[in-house]
Amino acid sequence: MDPILEVRNLHVVYRSPRGYVRAVDGVSMTVLDGEVLGIVGESGSGKTTLALTILRILPSNAKIVSGSILFRGSDLVSMDENALRDYRWKRISMVPQAALNALNPTMKILDHVLETAQAHGIRDRKYVIERISELLQMLRLEPERVLRSYPHELSGGMKQRVLIALALFLDPELIILDEPTTALDVLTQRFILDLLKDLHRKTGKTMIFITHDIAIIADVADRVGVMYAGKMVEIGDVYTIFRDPKHPYTKALIKSIPSLVGSVEDMKPIPGFPPDLINPPPGCRFHPRCPYAMDVCRSREPPAVELRPGHVVWCWLYAKR
Amino acid sequence: MRWIVRRAIIAFLTVFTAMTLSFFVIKAMPGDPIDALAQAFVRQYYMSYEEAYRLALAAAPFVPKGPVWKQYVEYMTKFFRGDLGVSISFSTGKKVAEILADAIPWTVLVVATSLVISFLMGIVIGMVMAYKHGSKLDSSLIVAFSILRSIPEYIVAILLLWILAFQMGLFPTGGRYDYWALELLKKGDVLAFLGNVLWHAALPILTWIITHISGWALAMRGSTIGVLGEDFITYAKVRGLPSRRIVIKYVGKNAILPLFTSFMLSLGFMFGGSIFIEFIFSYQGVGWVLYQSITQRDWYLMLGAFNIIIIAVVLGALLADMLYGFLDPRIRRGGTT
Repeated sequence: MDPILEVRNLHVVYRSPRGYVRAVDGVSMTVLDGEVLGIVGESGSGKTTLALTILRILPSNAKIVSGSILFRGSDLVSMDENALRDYRWKRISMVPQAALNALNPTMKILDHVLETAQAHGIRDRKYVIERISELLQMLRLEPERVLRSYPHELSGGMKQRVLIALALFLDPELIILDEPTTALDVLTQRFILDLLKDLHRKTGKTMIFITHDIAIIADVADRVGVMYAGKMVEIGDVYTIFRDPKHPYTKALIKSIPSLVGSVEDMKPIPGFPPDLINPPPGCRFHPRCPYAMDVCRSREPPAVELRPGHVVWCWLYAKR
Repeated sequence: MRWIVRRAIIAFLTVFTAMTLSFFVIKAMPGDPIDALAQAFVRQYYMSYEEAYRLALAAAPFVPKGPVWKQYVEYMTKFFRGDLGVSISFSTGKKVAEILADAIPWTVLVVATSLVISFLMGIVIGMVMAYKHGSKLDSSLIVAFSILRSIPEYIVAILLLWILAFQMGLFPTGGRYDYWALELLKKGDVLAFLGNVLWHAALPILTWIITHISGWALAMRGSTIGVLGEDFITYAKVRGLPSRRIVIKYVGKNAILPLFTSFMLSLGFMFGGSIFIEFIFSYQGVGWVLYQSITQRDWYLMLGAFNIIIIAVVLGALLADMLYGFLDPRIRRGGTT
């Protein structure tokens, strides 16, 4: 498969009164055409910043320091606003978390759809309604009722499906889903996940699926990237990562999933806290919490080690020295 | 529908209570119209107080008599039949309704114009400040507006009167229009008359705008900053919406909502005008009438003016409640309305 998106050594900082927060600090990854890439990490690990950077909608206090994001070969980082307008939504769209009120409370759903279509040059109202109705039906919503509603009249699960339909509307090449099931109850979560899997099977759309819940990743993703404190620590296909995790953080993360069959004692929380990203620890970011930390981990950043094609881990344990 | 009826009943009770309170408060004020008139005679004609009092009694035959509660019942029953009584001492024997009907259009002209201008300017400036918050422009405007807000309107009025009217002679020092303009109107030159009216209203309007714009601008700034942090703004940008649409439909509409209620209440207070501004510019509107009626203890005229303001404010609030649903679907009432 060809790469659709390549992120190379990306650094993004936020200005804060105490100094620069290094939210994304040297992340590299590749998204392949037609795959679902899961990105997992706890809150503050930089995964949402990564998504916002790909769409170039970072808040005004954020800055891309260096790095490039190649989308089908053209660099999104150096692109100006006008050129970006053609990329946003038409070629790369996003599904935000429904609980974060992503829809204008004073506008009906239909108006959201119409304005989105209009912003991209589609003025045929009849076509817009037909297309969105089709999508909503596919997501098992009643188009007539939903389109006439205001955002607050819909449940969380319904709003989430509306957001998915909106993201699919222009048939983009890449969809970034940022915590699309967080803040939904478990049953709705299950329902939305099944819809997304079904959608991927039918359309073969490339997706980046961002979540803090590693259990969900196992279910939907082909490959998974694990982020910790602004860095990618391990990336590989889901099967390998779950069966044979290499990075101590990934291992700990998988251990922290509650299991239906094992006893609660097998669940191990990771000791300590994520580091302060204004003054991150030197060397490997994870070393203060890592049971295998060595001297070199405390002073030098770990190199990328390709264990087998496609499975990369950033850890001194596997570096040939 | 039931909701509107309930709100209307509450509004009526509010008006009734406020009217009752103002009736008794006004009656409890020290002094009475005859006494005030007598004092004026004493000052004017150097007569003895007894003589002046007798004269005042003869000059003002409309002083209510009998126990206060009887006066109250009589006043209220007449009021709700549309009879506001007659002026006691301000313009003896003239109907209060007539005096107010003459004053209200002028006050409404000044206040409505200034309210609309200061509201629109405040909203635009507030939004610009919010978009550039933290910038030099924003911080200097905050300082300027905070100073402007703390200067009382009579200071602004006197300064404008002194500089623009007395020193530079750009505007008249007072009045609603010139008599020569009225002559022109009689000859059919409406435009010249309107121009004269606006020329006279300019300073009161300017005073009002200067003292009120900071409130709107600062409120809009705060509200806009809040909205700019909302997720639907980010999400609108991701969808590639043009910034014009985001500014108007997303930021503007949502940021104005909290200001809407105070705007409607201001519309109600509009009928009261401003006592200070109208007094300083001798602009004969409701505020000016109110000032005169208070100094002369003209009870019925005072009550008439107060009650008009009370009713207007309560109606403004009622209207705001009813219209809010159209602006903000989240509080629209389901089904029956």
